[in-house]
Amino acid sequence: MGTETIAHDGTETMAKQSSPILSVRDVRKTYKLGRVKVPVLHGVDLDVQKGEWVTILGASGSGKSTLLHLMGGLDRPDKVDGQRGTISFEGNDLTKQSKRTLDRYRADDIGFVFQFYHLLPELSVVQNVCVGSMILHGRIGYMSNRSATVQRATELLERFGLGHRLKHRPAELSGGERQRVAIARALINDPSVLLADEPTGNLDMKTGASILDTMIEYREKAGLTMVMVTHDERIAARADRVIRLLDGRVQES
Amino acid sequence: MYQALLTRKYLTRKIMPMLAMVAVMLSVATILVTWSVMGGFLVSLIQSGRVLVGDVAIVWPNVGFGHYDDLIEMLEQDEMIDSATPIIETFGLAQLPDGRIELIQIKGVDATSYSDVTGFADTLWWKPITEPTPKDKGREDLRLIADDLRENAGIDLEQIFQNGLTLTRPDPDDGQLDPAGVLGVEVTGLNYRTKWGGYEPQGVNRAMSDGRVMHESVFMPHDGSVGLTVLSLDSDGRPVDPKTITIPIANEFQSGLYEVDQRTIVIPLEVLQRNLRMDEAQRITLEREPFATEFDPETGILRPKMREVVGIDPARVTTVLVKKTDGVELEVMRNRVREIYAAFARKHQGDVPSSHDMHWQVKTWEDLNRTMISAVKKETGLVLFIFGIVSFTTVFLVLAIFWSMASEKTKDIGILRALGASTMGIAWLWVRYGAVIGVVGASVGTVLGYWIVSNINTIHDWIGEHTGLVIWDPQQYYFIEIPSDVDPTKALIVFIVGIMTCVLGALLPAWHSARMDPVKALRFE
Repeated sequence: MGTETIAHDGTETMAKQSSPILSVRDVRKTYKLGRVKVPVLHGVDLDVQKGEWVTILGASGSGKSTLLHLMGGLDRPDKVDGQRGTISFEGNDLTKQSKRTLDRYRADDIGFVFQFYHLLPELSVVQNVCVGSMILHGRIGYMSNRSATVQRATELLERFGLGHRLKHRPAELSGGERQRVAIARALINDPSVLLADEPTGNLDMKTGASILDTMIEYREKAGLTMVMVTHDERIAARADRVIRLLDGRVQES
Repeated sequence: MYQALLTRKYLTRKIMPMLAMVAVMLSVATILVTWSVMGGFLVSLIQSGRVLVGDVAIVWPNVGFGHYDDLIEMLEQDEMIDSATPIIETFGLAQLPDGRIELIQIKGVDATSYSDVTGFADTLWWKPITEPTPKDKGREDLRLIADDLRENAGIDLEQIFQNGLTLTRPDPDDGQLDPAGVLGVEVTGLNYRTKWGGYEPQGVNRAMSDGRVMHESVFMPHDGSVGLTVLSLDSDGRPVDPKTITIPIANEFQSGLYEVDQRTIVIPLEVLQRNLRMDEAQRITLEREPFATEFDPETGILRPKMREVVGIDPARVTTVLVKKTDGVELEVMRNRVREIYAAFARKHQGDVPSSHDMHWQVKTWEDLNRTMISAVKKETGLVLFIFGIVSFTTVFLVLAIFWSMASEKTKDIGILRALGASTMGIAWLWVRYGAVIGVVGASVGTVLGYWIVSNINTIHDWIGEHTGLVIWDPQQYYFIEIPSDVDPTKALIVFIVGIMTCVLGALLPAWHSARMDPVKALRFE
């Protein structure tokens, strides 16, 4: 499936991709709230090409975050009539993978950025960034590459303007600074895909714009694939492609 | 790796783990102190029970057996055996200075060899001492002022000590040494047990015919005596006749076992042998015709037929106590004694109990005190069991604390899962956290417990001085100080159990955290 990629500055580039890095097919998800079943996704289909920035727009409760969690291997789609739907990463169906493989997928291939930063309050800024590497490489692997990892974490933080905050704790940072730490943490293992769930949703306009610029700049330089959930049309306008979730189904713009 | 980092951070930044640590620490310290004190109590009892019985005893009760000198010689020739001593153990009635008549165990001993084989000399209470006993802060012990007693009251404690060792007491009239006994210090009831765990001799109140009560001061080792009534048996175990003797008291002993000290007297072997008719005797013919006559070979006059001496019945004892040489295993030594007795029995076949009969009568000091030891062991086990159950609540305390912490850290778990942490990794985070809290809590608890046990009497005295609370009163308890015995093995067991308690308490919260839905965890507020 081919996709037309449009840069945010209006210049057109055509990137014909033979196969998507992420592919979602007929994915359904229903949540149970007590005895009540609340259907969220009704059969979503979506392809994301390598290096593409896709923004998912939708109203509150439309299932944007749920779709992001499913793509990130944090959750599994429902089975309907024995069929689960598929979520493929580089051709591998995540829904058929073991928990261990999904853990590895999240640690190695995916970077998550959340609206509320989700930093670990007891750890310093640099430790928060390094924790992803600790999880990926284990004790021995991390210790053998510790200095390189810390150096990369420091470089990322310096790049995001936090070089002077390395030893600080999250509680001592502003909202914008915390989100930059969260982005650095998501990038520490050099993932293929960045999944961002309203990364500017909790920030004022100026700070949000600054955060977005940071992400865009990094994505362009690193060729990172990015799927961003937002309900801000202005942010969506800067993406390569915008899809809308309506009634649990995708409507491409 | 992240588990180690988070464990360290959670440990130092939260009050909850400190509470869990304190719970483990107190639990470990409590168990260690209880076990050590009960263990110390057991050790003290065992040592006290051993002091007057040597290592191995050959016992043929009541009737006894002869040729014991030969047996002792055979025993002392063996390299495993240091020394042996003959004794007679029997029961009798003692008439005490206040007129009471009590059942008493009488030990007839050979003073010199008995002191060699047992710790008898150390148990003699009345002797000069230079250092006060641990609780005698006011130096009120009479034994500390031996010189004053000798000069002002004419009581020579050094002489009394020697009297105890030799089981003699000089006659006040002619100075001749009379056979004397050593009483258990609690037998007469005339020794008032002081609050510091010593004794003060008391007088006797005697009712006069006119109704008045007269107080008579009696210090048993100086001027006291008891009447002893024993029932002698012939060599076939038949009662012959009761004999009553008055025996002066040379000293008093404290073995450390109240049961022994309250109903035992030690007297010279030959005195008891004579009165029990267990001394050497002539064996004579039994004349079946009471009116038989014979001619006196010297005078040629007819006379009632005389009984002929046909042999000698050797002196008998009921027990031979044996002391092993250093380094010999007790069981090995008992088996060796059995072998020696077997040889002895073959040598005196027909005159002494056979080795088959005597097999189970060769007993170690542990066998002799088995009832007492097993009772105290069972009590120790029971107390530990009860405290163990109480301490087991620590598991639930740790569980409650960890559950609360895991709930508080739900979002952290969601974050870690989003970053790729596995369910096992999350579970290990809490188990490891529990183990670290257990190690820290159990280490501090073990050190605290060890410190308390090592200073338990100082702590007890301090509490007593500042609050008036005296738990271990030497007037009521027979040991002056709280006994304690810190065994490194016990400490290690308690330490490991303390850690396991914490890990056990952490398992359920760990399992709960590991199974947590990461999406729900991330949305947790």
